[in-house]
Formats: sequence, structure tokens, C-alpha cells
Amino acid sequence: MKKIAKDRLSLLWPRIALNYQLFLPIAEEKVVNFSRWEEGAEVDLATLKTANSPKDIIFPQTETYLNFKQEGKRLELEMAGGRKDYLVFGVSPCDVASINLLDKVFLDEPVDQFYQEGRQKGVIIARACLNPAETCFCSSFKINPALAPAGADIATWDLGDSLLWEAQSEKGKELTADFDDLLEEVSREEQERLEQVKTGIADQLKDLPLVNLDPDLIEGGLNEIFASEIWEHLYRRCLGCAMCTYVCPTCHCYDLKDYDGNKCGERFRCWDSCMFSDFTMMAHGNPRTTQKERVRQRFMHKLVYYPNNYQAYACVGCGRCTEKCPVSLDMVKVIKKLGGERNEL
Amino acid sequence: MEKIREEIKEIVRQALASKEVDLILAWEKGQLWYDSYPAFFTEEQGVDSLVWDQFCVNNLSKYLLDDGMAGQKVGILVKGCDTLAFNQLVQDNRIIRDNVVLYGLPCSGMIDPAKVRREGLDRGLIKIKKTGDQLIFVNKEQQIKVLPTQVYYDKCLTCHYPNPVIYDRLIGEKVANETLATHAGRFSAVEELEELSTKDRFAYWDQQFSKCIRCLACRNICPACSCEQCTFDDSELEILGKAKENSEDKFFHLIRAYHVAGRCVDCGECSRVCPQGIPLEKLNRKLIKDINELYGEYQAGLDPSIKGPLVTYQLEDTDTFTAGERGRKQK
Repeated sequence: MKKIAKDRLSLLWPRIALNYQLFLPIAEEKVVNFSRWEEGAEVDLATLKTANSPKDIIFPQTETYLNFKQEGKRLELEMAGGRKDYLVFGVSPCDVASINLLDKVFLDEPVDQFYQEGRQKGVIIARACLNPAETCFCSSFKINPALAPAGADIATWDLGDSLLWEAQSEKGKELTADFDDLLEEVSREEQERLEQVKTGIADQLKDLPLVNLDPDLIEGGLNEIFASEIWEHLYRRCLGCAMCTYVCPTCHCYDLKDYDGNKCGERFRCWDSCMFSDFTMMAHGNPRTTQKERVRQRFMHKLVYYPNNYQAYACVGCGRCTEKCPVSLDMVKVIKKLGGERNEL
Repeated sequence: MEKIREEIKEIVRQALASKEVDLILAWEKGQLWYDSYPAFFTEEQGVDSLVWDQFCVNNLSKYLLDDGMAGQKVGILVKGCDTLAFNQLVQDNRIIRDNVVLYGLPCSGMIDPAKVRREGLDRGLIKIKKTGDQLIFVNKEQQIKVLPTQVYYDKCLTCHYPNPVIYDRLIGEKVANETLATHAGRFSAVEELEELSTKDRFAYWDQQFSKCIRCLACRNICPACSCEQCTFDDSELEILGKAKENSEDKFFHLIRAYHVAGRCVDCGECSRVCPQGIPLEKLNRKLIKDINELYGEYQAGLDPSIKGPLVTYQLEDTDTFTAGERGRKQK
């Protein structure tokens, strides 16, 4: 294990930026999001829950597939792609776990080549979550906020004046060697402090208001949950906006469209939301005609369909929907209504 | 507020029991301190969970447009700002006044959870008490006194209508309107932007709109956005795609601002729900300010019998449409 003094981070960023597009949590008028770092940016490593997850770096909100051009009878196609190497620094454990969930979808056969290229060119540096918020419930999905899940190339822990640093993958080891001059060895005393920090996080978890949430307690199979009466009560306040799906680190549905410039154009994919009335619109119309069906789809996908396919829930308990939904129609309420809550002792 | 909460519940129970209304729109409490969300009450027994506290910020009027409301007599709890939105929906012929029973609630302001978090007042929070003109945040260790201005939503700090402007029944006592001075100040941020050069102002909005994730929450919560089908949702027209594209982000927000111009009641819900902190109220207030200056003071939603300045026409109207020199005031 290594460490880097906080006051040397300002040396680390430009070094990383030499070879990578560097993304960091950056504050802009009180809102913190992962953005491209440039000299003078207001890096905010204290805010753990960024407004958006870093999903849009790995799986961009809009991504060009190919460009096309017509000349006479000749149609010219040009593949897009060619992502540059990038590095995301400061990803919370829940958000790292969400990337693993996206991997299951996009790297499963048939492999999504754009996504695969994006994953290969990316380096993920995690930071342990020292201060889980009251809207957090990652432990309900068996995520430990004190550790970086596999999938992170390097794990870091904030000890106040320094960041402890541990490589977790081959990429991470190479990078650690590259920055050897900025890193220092960790003392025994600091190792002990890390253990205290980890214990501190575990203690905090016990006191969080949503700690009793447990999706494993949800009873019934696909058909029973689908037919449950809860959807009728829950959906009514839904505004039909896409905030929950767009701030969600695990939502991954997309649409394919063309920009039609008459003789030339571009085929792209962009995020889509099951909350929208034209989601999965087909020639015959939309298979989900009411908001009730759309709301049900979103939660069925996360709690039933995805687990059926990949043996994991498609939620990491980051709590963004819990914090941001304008009408509080969030994952917590759905899990509770479905009986996924331990009785308090 | 706790005092009148029980009174509200009793009134709602009676209204449902007597079939005065089929359904009542109100708020319910969720799992966390700030979590008061829109709820639909149809049976007396369910009314226990109804809440009225300083987090009932959601404007419920727009739910009156829901398909499920057709043919029903609906009761609705409304604050001052909510009644402006209600009136505007009546004026826009989207709801029928007589099908709705309005229970008016005077409101002295709603608390912004983001400000509470920023002040660090959320840690271990047990409850928030109100005494006189102070709020007391009670946690396990201590009681912290806070001025409401520190934690209220910005929109509440410039509110001019703390009391419902229309109601069938008022619950609780009207609150004094102490915000007249600050209400006038609601345009100060707009004036700052007006001072900028065209280039700098464009750069400002370009940067703001670039943060948009196109979740459409601002449109969907907006009581002035009441079209049966939004033109942006018509996938055959393809007026607006779903791509996150800078030019389209700007296009969406500017078109929407112009479409709600003269009908925006300045309820501030668009800014409240924006997950990226885009100051949409500045855009809408610019249009309100321009309307005030060009046609005289006008508050949308104050009186549905008065037609808005942008939908009236007078023969003696002398506006040449070019006198303003592309919208810029002549010096």
C-alpha cells in the first residue's frame, strides 16, 4: 500500500492529464459532477455523492456509431469510435459496483463493441466512502463503502492529509509504478488509522435510516410482483420525467437514431428512459401505454428481470433517485412496499 | 403547522366521508425528514398519513390534468403559489373551476433540503421546530437556532403570495406578507445578466444549458406546460431528438421559455427540480420582467378573468414589432 499527500494531488492531476482524459469530481455553482479536469478546476474530493454518476463517461449519453454520405449512387459509411484513453478518479464504491452491472449487459454476447472499447481504454480509481449519506443504502446490495469493489483499478482512502492508495489490477499496478515519484510508503501508524476509518464507516452504516432495507426479503416471483397492487398506488404521482433513469448509475437503456442531413448524416445512440411515453415505440404503437406500466417496468427491470438474467439486482443503493426524484417515487419506497425491509430489533 | 395538521386531516376525512369530493390531493410523509411528497387520498381511513409541514413544496395543481381525474370531484390542498398555478390552468381552459374544491393553506415558506445539508444541519436531525421567527434544528446533541432565510428555498424568499389567492375554504390563519421588499428584488439576478454584453450573456447560458441532461423534469413539473401532447414528444415531427447535443439543449430551454411566457406564474418549481442546478428561474423572470416593462405589471394566475398581455389584441395597439430593435430597449 502507498499514499499520496493531499498537497501533491495538484502535481498528480497534470501528470495524469498528459496521457489520459482526466475526469474528477468538480464543483460548479454548488453542483458536483465528474467533469474533464483542466488547470484551475475546483476539484471536490469531499463530496461523495455527485449529482450524476460517472456512468456518462463510460457509457456516453450520446455516442456516434457511424457517419454516412451519399454521392450519386454511392453511399459512403465511416465507422465512428476511436475513444481516447481516460481516467476517472474518485469513483464511490457503489458507482464502481454499477459499472460491473453495466459490464454484464454490454460485455455479454453479443458484445457491444463501443462499450468494450470504452472499458478497455478507461482506468477507474475508486475512493472509499467515508461518510455515507442518509439517502444511501448500498449495504442493502452487499456493497461495502469502505472498500473498492473489484473493477476498480486502484482503491483510495482519504485520511485527511493524505490519500492511501492500493492497486487492485494490472492497469492499476502499472499506473502506480508510473507515479512512483509522487507516492510514498505507508507507515504502520497509517495502516492502523485506515483500520479505524473502516470501523468508523461500519459504525455509521448501522445508524443510517435506510439500513433495514433488504431486497432479498421481497416475496413472490415475476408474475406475482408484476400483478401486485402496489403499482396502482405508487405510479400516480410520477411526472413521467427521466430524472431517475438519467441520474441512475445502472439504468442503461438507449435509443438508436439518425441525424438526417439529406445527403449526409450520422447514426448515433443516446440514453433513453422507460419513463418516456415514446420509449420502445414500434410501428403498432407503444407496448406500455400508461405511466403505471412504465413505472412498473423500471422497478421490475431492477428487482426482477435483471436478477433473473444476471443473478444480481440492478441497483447499488447510491440513493440518487431517493434524493432527486421531484415527487419522491424512489427505489426505497418500492422495495418497502414489496416487503423488502427487515423489522427493527 | 402541527396544530393545523390535525385540523386539515379532519376536514379531509369529512370531505371524503360526506362525498363532497371523490379524491383529495395532498402530501404524505416518506422515510426521511425532508420527504413530503404528493399523495392521493380517496378513503377516510388512509388520511392518517397525510402531512402538512415545511417540506410540502410540491405544487399539486398539475395533477388535476391527469386522465384519472375526469368526471371526478377533486379536492386539493393549495398554498399561495399553487393557487396561481391553479388559476392559470383554469385560464388556459385545461381544468374546470367548479369541479375542484380548493382548501387554502397560508404558507410562510418551505425548507430547501439542499441548503440544510450544505449548512450541515441534517446530521442526526430529529426534528425541526418553529418558534416565532426562528427555526430550531434538534439533533441528538443539541438544538441549533437558524433564521428561516438561511434554509428556505430561494423562491420562497421572494414570494409575494404566501396566502392562497383563491380558495373555497381557508385552513389556518393568513400569514403577514413581509416579503414585499424582497419580491421586488426577484429581478436583481436578471438585471445582472442584462448588464452583460450579448456575447457574455450567450456564453453564460451556453454554459448553463450544457449541464442539462434532458430529463425533462422542468417541463413535466411546470403548471404552464399543460399541452395534451408536447411538441417535443412527437417522435414523428422530430422537432427535438433525445441526443445530448448542445444546440438542442439550448433549443429546448429557449422554446419552452417562450411557450410559457405570459403564463409562467413564477412558482419556481422548474429550478427546484433541476438535478443540475440550472437557474431556469432567471430565464422565466427575464420574460416576466420584459412583459412588465412592455405592457405594465402583470402577475400570471392572479385573476383568471383578466387575459394575459400576450393573448390580447387591441386595435389601437401601436406596437410596430420593430420599435424595440430586436428586443433591445431604445436609449
